[in-house]
Amino acid sequence: MVTANIQNAIEIRGLQKSFGSTQALTDANLIVRSGESRALLGRNGAGKSTLIAMLTGLVTPDAGSIHIQGANGEVTEGPGSDSIACVYQKSTLVPELTVAENISLGAYPRKRWGSVDWPAIRRTATDQLKDWGYERIVDKTVADLEPLEKKIVEVCRALSRGPRILLLDEPTAGLDEGASHELFAQINSLRQRGVTVIYVSHHLEEIFKVCDSVTILRDGRDVLTAQTADLTVNRIVNVMAGVSEEEAAAAKKEIAVEHRRQDQLGETRLTVTGATVGSRVLAANLTVRAGECVGLTGLDGAGHVQLAQAIAGQLALDNGTVDHNGHTLGQGNVIKTINAGVGFVPEDRHVNGYVPELSVEENATLTIVDRLRGRGGLISPGRRRARFTELSGAWAIKCDGPTQAVEELSGGNQQKVVLARALASNPDTLVLVHPTAGVDVTAKESIYESLRALRDSGRSLLIVSTDDTDLEICDRVIVMYKGEIHAELNAGYEEWELVGAIQGAEAAA
Amino acid sequence: MSTHTPTVAGTPTSRRPLNIIDQARSSGWARELALLPAIILAMVIGAILSPQFLTANNLLNNVLVTSAVLGIVVIAESIILISGYFDLSLESVVGLAPMLAVWLVLPAAVGGSGFGWSPWGAFAAMFVLSIVIGLINGFLVGKLKLNAFMVTLAMLTLLRGLTMGLSGGKTLSGLPAEFLALGNTKWFGISIQIWLFAIFLVAAAVFMRSHPVGRKLYAMGGNNAAAAAAGIKTLRLTIGVFVAGAIIAAFAGLMLTGRIASVTANQGDGLIFTVFAAAVIGGISLNGGKGSMIGALSGVLLLGIIQNILVLSQVPSFWIKAIYGLIILSALIFNYFAGSRRTRRVV
Repeated sequence: MVTANIQNAIEIRGLQKSFGSTQALTDANLIVRSGESRALLGRNGAGKSTLIAMLTGLVTPDAGSIHIQGANGEVTEGPGSDSIACVYQKSTLVPELTVAENISLGAYPRKRWGSVDWPAIRRTATDQLKDWGYERIVDKTVADLEPLEKKIVEVCRALSRGPRILLLDEPTAGLDEGASHELFAQINSLRQRGVTVIYVSHHLEEIFKVCDSVTILRDGRDVLTAQTADLTVNRIVNVMAGVSEEEAAAAKKEIAVEHRRQDQLGETRLTVTGATVGSRVLAANLTVRAGECVGLTGLDGAGHVQLAQAIAGQLALDNGTVDHNGHTLGQGNVIKTINAGVGFVPEDRHVNGYVPELSVEENATLTIVDRLRGRGGLISPGRRRARFTELSGAWAIKCDGPTQAVEELSGGNQQKVVLARALASNPDTLVLVHPTAGVDVTAKESIYESLRALRDSGRSLLIVSTDDTDLEICDRVIVMYKGEIHAELNAGYEEWELVGAIQGAEAAA
Repeated sequence: MSTHTPTVAGTPTSRRPLNIIDQARSSGWARELALLPAIILAMVIGAILSPQFLTANNLLNNVLVTSAVLGIVVIAESIILISGYFDLSLESVVGLAPMLAVWLVLPAAVGGSGFGWSPWGAFAAMFVLSIVIGLINGFLVGKLKLNAFMVTLAMLTLLRGLTMGLSGGKTLSGLPAEFLALGNTKWFGISIQIWLFAIFLVAAAVFMRSHPVGRKLYAMGGNNAAAAAAGIKTLRLTIGVFVAGAIIAAFAGLMLTGRIASVTANQGDGLIFTVFAAAVIGGISLNGGKGSMIGALSGVLLLGIIQNILVLSQVPSFWIKAIYGLIILSALIFNYFAGSRRTRRVV
């Protein structure tokens, strides 16, 4: 084993980790000098999250070594939750408390008899905030802060415990352009104070403003570590996608637009015109034909999810129209949308996909419970069972029986129940958001098989996803960027085209 | 719908017969009958402690008749709990609704309004009042998303105060026959109170188990967001359950007034505690989405039997509250252990 160099803040060698049959990391190395600012890049599933989880000690590696420089400058083996200050995309502040209280949260200084030392709390916070020039907010309630101020409080709190390594995960999410720039300036001044920064972001242009160097992960390996100055956005995209410079150039020349199954497509079934939802979706247009499978993707917050929700009646459009088979939709009326023949699979099954205590059968038929009436207006158990049997066959749901509670199923089968629910109303069009999120490979394959069968039976599918494999079954992929439709790629696109379009690069197509 | 209706892909329809075990599981009978051993045990203890316990007269006229009003309010509260909310103010409706009706009917000389309303007009007014109460509760909780605990606690206090104000703190008696009929009529030798309880119970059980709206209430209580995403109109249902709860509680109050042939200014006072106890012991989840009317019935019966035994064995009534509290704590602990078994997963 190599002894860690004192100059290195982080030294990770040969890290391996598998979850069941999935190899999340095969051989990951990450060596970061003290005071360096390093970007950690990679597509979804490249192993980024696993590497971060190991760095902070949430996940233990199967093999490999981790050395981290602690608060006292000493290097210790093993992950350190104390030696790394983490600021995640999701806020961990308590909105009702003041900034000072939040910074000392859970580690309040005490007076001699054990009572909380309020002046000390205020002093600590002021000291921390002074470095940022933000000491004026020390007495404010977090709920009243600007997004950037909240971010700064998070960073202060993380660093107040002593670590010299700061991990920032998508720090500009929720910040506008001006605030982002200010944050970059703050991060740069932080580095001059000797803090090592690990920077994770999907927004590549940020990397060039904040980071000295870049490590790119692909398929669980670190495939490239280089100085930012030696890189371009294009090169990063190519490495992330795993194509060589020459391949990318060649592919760019012959944009092989393959009109797969064009003859099998029917008339236009869904037309969205000028759809606007707040500032999330800006005048988006799209059409989906009968028997067509269209993908919709983008970075977090690009508006693709909101657009899908608006089409499915979960959100009302502020402007624009949705036309489906001659029905005007987009008013945020779920029942009307279902009756017009649109089925919906929500983004997160735990939040609004299923009712855990109810049976598989009831969950799968929840959207059509009024159509299952038999004698005396009561639900006909036979009719419900018959419908469920069809649906469970279509999605290959594995359960003990129709009356098993959904909470007892595996994630993949829970997801299939949610898919079944969308199909229960026998819709012409299915809008699916992250249809394979959090399901294993086998369940994924099974879901794709069902989706292909639905497509081939003439249904229209709109698949909203950031998962490459979900998009592979699509005839076209529409990419959104900052609320607008940014690019449209036909099946047969190269991965770098997709990656580039998602990052907001001007599309070649 | 378009002209072409694609069929569902996959295996053809196989209409599997509904077998007994499936049915038992779907209605959760195993869970619903969880209290049966406790009820039997209580009855055995009762029989040992008092020779009068196991007589038809005692079981019908004491246990069941005194449980009927409680039972009907428990049904109302259970529907609200299953929907994911709760309503403390039901006990005040039990007091205010009949007080209003009696007050409208009776002459001023005996503490009434002197308006001289007919009993039927008074009944109508009473139900209109309870609908308004339910609408206000439902609107504040469902639409404005105010905390159900505070809203219904405030409503409880407000309505109790109105009852006091209307009656001047007095007990109104000398009721017309229409009121008393709900207390002393017998059908086939059995008190109308028991019949009414049975009718409410069967209707509520069928409604919650098999009516689409009943199932929507379960879905809403189990996961409000999932229900809304599936096109269930959750606001409408929320207001609906509060209105239904208030109407049922008003009826229960009328039954109580009929039975004791008078209405006191504190009728229903403290009832809500027993109502929650019976519902929770009967397996109705305070988190919503779980429980059944049969379970609620078993909770009511168990409490009724225990109370009867305490009375028969001449336990000083001062101790009864302490014993109730103990029983509820035991039931919660029991439920915790019974509930921790569902960790089984199927892959």
